[in-house]
Amino acid sequence: MLVYTIKRLLALIPTLLAASILVFLFIHLIPGDPASILLGDTATPEDVAALTREMGLDQPIWKQYLLWLSNVLQGDLGTSVFFREPVLSVIGDGAETSILLATMTMFWIVLFGIPIGILSATKHGTWVDQMTSGGAMLFASVPTFWLGLYLILIFSVGLGWFPSSGFPSVSDDGGLANLRYLILPSLTLAAPNAALIIRLVRASMLDVSREDHVRTARAKGLHPAKVAIKHVFRNALIAVAAAFGFTFAALVSEAVVTETVFSLPGIGRLVVQSILRRDYPVIQGVILVIVVLYMIINLLVDLAYARLDPRVSLK
Amino acid sequence: MKYLRTFLAMFKGRKLATIGLIWFCIVAVAAIAAPLLAPFDPLEIDPVARLSEPGTPYLFGTDHFGRDSFSRAIYGARMAVIIGLGSVIVALVTGGLIGMISAYFTRLGHVLMRGVDVLMAFPALLLALVLMTLLERSVTNTIIVIGIVYATTTARILFGMTLKLKGEVFVDAAICSGAGHGSILFRHILPNLISPLLVQASFIFAFAQLQAAALDFLGLGLPPEVPSWGNMLSEERIYVTRAPWLLIFPGALIILSVFSMNLVGDAMRDSIDPRFKDDIAGV
Amino acid sequence: MTLKTWSKSAVAGLALMALTGTAWADGMMRYATVGEPPSLDQHVVTSDLATTIAHHMFEGLYTFNAANAPVGLLASGETISDDGKVITISLREGVKFHNGQDMTSADVVASLERWGEHGSRGGLLFGNVASVEATGDHEVTITLNEPFGPWKNLMAFINGGPAIYPASVMEAAGKEPIAPENYIGTGPYKFSEWQPNRHVELVRFDEYASPDGAADGYAGERKADFDTLRFIPVPDVGTRVSGLKAGDYDYAESIPGDLFADLDADAGVTTILNGGPIFGLVFMNSKDGPLQENFALRRAIQTAIDKTPALQVAIGPEGLWRANGSFLPDGNVWYTDSGAENFSMGNAEKAKSMAEEAGYTGDPIKFMVSTNYPFHYDTAIVYTKQLAQAGFNIDLQVYDWATLIEKRAQPDQWDLFFTHHGFVPDPILISVMNDNYPGWWTTEEKAELKAKFTASSDPAERQAIWADIQALIYEQVPTMKTGDVYTYNIASPDLKGLGEATLIWPHFWNVSK
Repeated sequence: MLVYTIKRLLALIPTLLAASILVFLFIHLIPGDPASILLGDTATPEDVAALTREMGLDQPIWKQYLLWLSNVLQGDLGTSVFFREPVLSVIGDGAETSILLATMTMFWIVLFGIPIGILSATKHGTWVDQMTSGGAMLFASVPTFWLGLYLILIFSVGLGWFPSSGFPSVSDDGGLANLRYLILPSLTLAAPNAALIIRLVRASMLDVSREDHVRTARAKGLHPAKVAIKHVFRNALIAVAAAFGFTFAALVSEAVVTETVFSLPGIGRLVVQSILRRDYPVIQGVILVIVVLYMIINLLVDLAYARLDPRVSLK
Repeated sequence: MKYLRTFLAMFKGRKLATIGLIWFCIVAVAAIAAPLLAPFDPLEIDPVARLSEPGTPYLFGTDHFGRDSFSRAIYGARMAVIIGLGSVIVALVTGGLIGMISAYFTRLGHVLMRGVDVLMAFPALLLALVLMTLLERSVTNTIIVIGIVYATTTARILFGMTLKLKGEVFVDAAICSGAGHGSILFRHILPNLISPLLVQASFIFAFAQLQAAALDFLGLGLPPEVPSWGNMLSEERIYVTRAPWLLIFPGALIILSVFSMNLVGDAMRDSIDPRFKDDIAGV
Repeated sequence: MTLKTWSKSAVAGLALMALTGTAWADGMMRYATVGEPPSLDQHVVTSDLATTIAHHMFEGLYTFNAANAPVGLLASGETISDDGKVITISLREGVKFHNGQDMTSADVVASLERWGEHGSRGGLLFGNVASVEATGDHEVTITLNEPFGPWKNLMAFINGGPAIYPASVMEAAGKEPIAPENYIGTGPYKFSEWQPNRHVELVRFDEYASPDGAADGYAGERKADFDTLRFIPVPDVGTRVSGLKAGDYDYAESIPGDLFADLDADAGVTTILNGGPIFGLVFMNSKDGPLQENFALRRAIQTAIDKTPALQVAIGPEGLWRANGSFLPDGNVWYTDSGAENFSMGNAEKAKSMAEEAGYTGDPIKFMVSTNYPFHYDTAIVYTKQLAQAGFNIDLQVYDWATLIEKRAQPDQWDLFFTHHGFVPDPILISVMNDNYPGWWTTEEKAELKAKFTASSDPAERQAIWADIQALIYEQVPTMKTGDVYTYNIASPDLKGLGEATLIWPHFWNVSK
């Protein structure tokens, strides 16, 4: 297993390198530059050129890339053009929101998704099954910004139960109670993503319950409920573990729209805003971090898979 | 005729999926006959009639330009079909080819799938965002970008399926009878993949609607003057309390259409070759 | 995971949901902004949002009173030599910077020099400055090459203007905006922190030395009643409105006109109009393309457009916009209707024949607009329709703002582009007066009038010259004004001391809740 892990980690390096070159090229090909954004509408082209020179952005792209790469290898992701702060600390600020948001979303997905999936499987083929599957799919069909907009209108403007937007750090005044700012956004994100887990849980429960060892257990006269929990549930977890990792990584980055609607200071909005501002170092840094995260989570999922399911062997 | 009958047989006893199929047909008809069905020019501006409530003559009311929302919704159906079909074609053709060829020619496949890995390392929406800022906002670019995003998953899926089929007896038989590579790939392997591809197509069609709407919301999707459901939502979202109809109708249309395609895909998935069932993630 | 931990997490979740209620003290003012300011350095940045935040921290030598006249802020008075070339400014004593140092003439000289060399609007004045010297601990003497009428207005306009920073900060400062750790000013609030994407926070400066006199516009007494001002980026306008209604913000800026009637009627919301209107501008390319020197063709375009429907569509309720051809609004000293009869003809037939006479044969005219500002885009859509009706072949190109700014710097990329302009107290600050501003309007007639305009110090004479310049703008059409837009902000009714209207940027000294 250790050899396998090391091999996988080594294989990440060329992929990462290719990805970073791709990002670098893409964003530098986008027209527009940070200097004119900083200086605003009244700036003349001469002003912009002068600032571009001062920031070292007039160098050829390959030179800028090599400089960036050598800095990254020393653990320095550069400095944000816009915030004049190290990229790493800008990302760190956003990561708190994104990770908490993703965790909370995962919490809802598991809280609702697993019981509904189990229910759906045990009532397989009945109207309950159809209703739950249909309902989950309906939620997966709603544009997230549309849902978010109405959740704000109903639950914060109308009922006043939750804050509408923003997210003060949990280390700020208010402490953990600030997590209430994330309730509506995490529900918005959970709604479309719960369907995947529900379907997976249902399918794997059905598959597993048809398998030999479960039938044997039943034949041995074990209590059906016990069989369900012990065998079926454990095996269903395998499917969930896979979905878990996949969804988690997706949540961190695909929260772009939700973070915009709820004005959350997360990674997703950071990327969008940085693209609009042409804050090259931040875009490069964030995408690099997300890609690494994505790959590591994929690796962890594969490893967890191998642990949980004895039938899977790592090649 | 035979295909149509087997296709329709999949929906037997599935009321919801049948309704989904019917809704899809309605959207398709609206898309084709949009100029005949729309009572007004979807781009005609009338400042006097702006923000009119639903009723006559404006069935869905008017937006802040005074444009007829019903006509825009009908032309929006056309955009939905164009975006959906376009993304499906781009994704299936590029992704499908890469997947099949990679599985068949293993050496070349190793390199190609590495490239797919690089693209898959980018989360879908991020990839779309960067590409859309780089390219200009246009219908074609939106289709290409969404298509590329789903081409990667399609490539992965087809890679796996082709690998499975490659080991089957009928492929060996074809090789023995001296069939060329092209013939084996497209005459022997591909026909077996048609129904899973159709399932994948219906899910891509559904997802493409949501992706396009999300891009429109972020101001990086279709050009704003194009009447699409996503543009209608994002352009008029500030009127949610002032003119609620401007969000309810296009919102409902997107939800219904995505839901329908998901139902159709789901029904089809249940009827395909069990070997491939697990390969297609869907919702 | 066992079932027990499951139920535990569920309970924790419910407990969390119950935790509502506000944790903020009344000492904090929460302001929902449209986005994040590029930097708060007032010398180089001209973003209105940056000034809204920064003018609580940084002060200039002069500022504006409610009548938009420049009056002393850090300056206590000045004398001007008879030939108008030597200006001696005395500074208020006992003013402290946020770092505890006293403000002296050395700081003022260093700040003015950096602004003159690198500041956005500094060149306008410093093109004509022979020297800036400290002639005493609290006295600065500026020597001009030629008398320069608008000097005091330029000094009082803090946006892109001469904020006074400590000399130590100015030493290393160049074109690049100064870093947040160097945000040291003399204002009633001082910089606390900038959490990217989260907020910019200012806190009360306890040693603040306020100017004397009753508050009048930005002049007179400044009293910091809040402990903290927090500027929170909330880019989605719907969220800004919802957030204010839900009590998450005390103040929210830039609200669409169509919501005005509803919000104004809402007892839970106060609406505050901005006194100085902004206006859209469609620039024409004087350097390249079919419009380059063809003033007749430009006039044909101007004739084709009826400005009113565009204002109706883009802004909404009457009262928030005025189809006004004068570059400065009615009631302002610079108001003039000279040339304004051509402002909004909306005559497609006449335009068509004018275009023919001007030799227009249907070549595409590239019109660039950005979707970052809905009002730009909405207006451009209406104009494009009107121009098409008059037979113009308009190629509308929609970009994001950053792309538009890059493209407009390249003369071969465009013929028309859309932007907007904030209210300015002196016409010399309007972008079209700048020869280097994209569009590059540099005709001899302009140069002649501009020279006369800056040389004169007599208000009546300057107003007359401005009227001539405005007439020239309607004749040579370097840009088309789209009409005045009165933007408005919304606030919680708990805020006291806001006043009926905002002068230019909202300010929160003398405001409490």
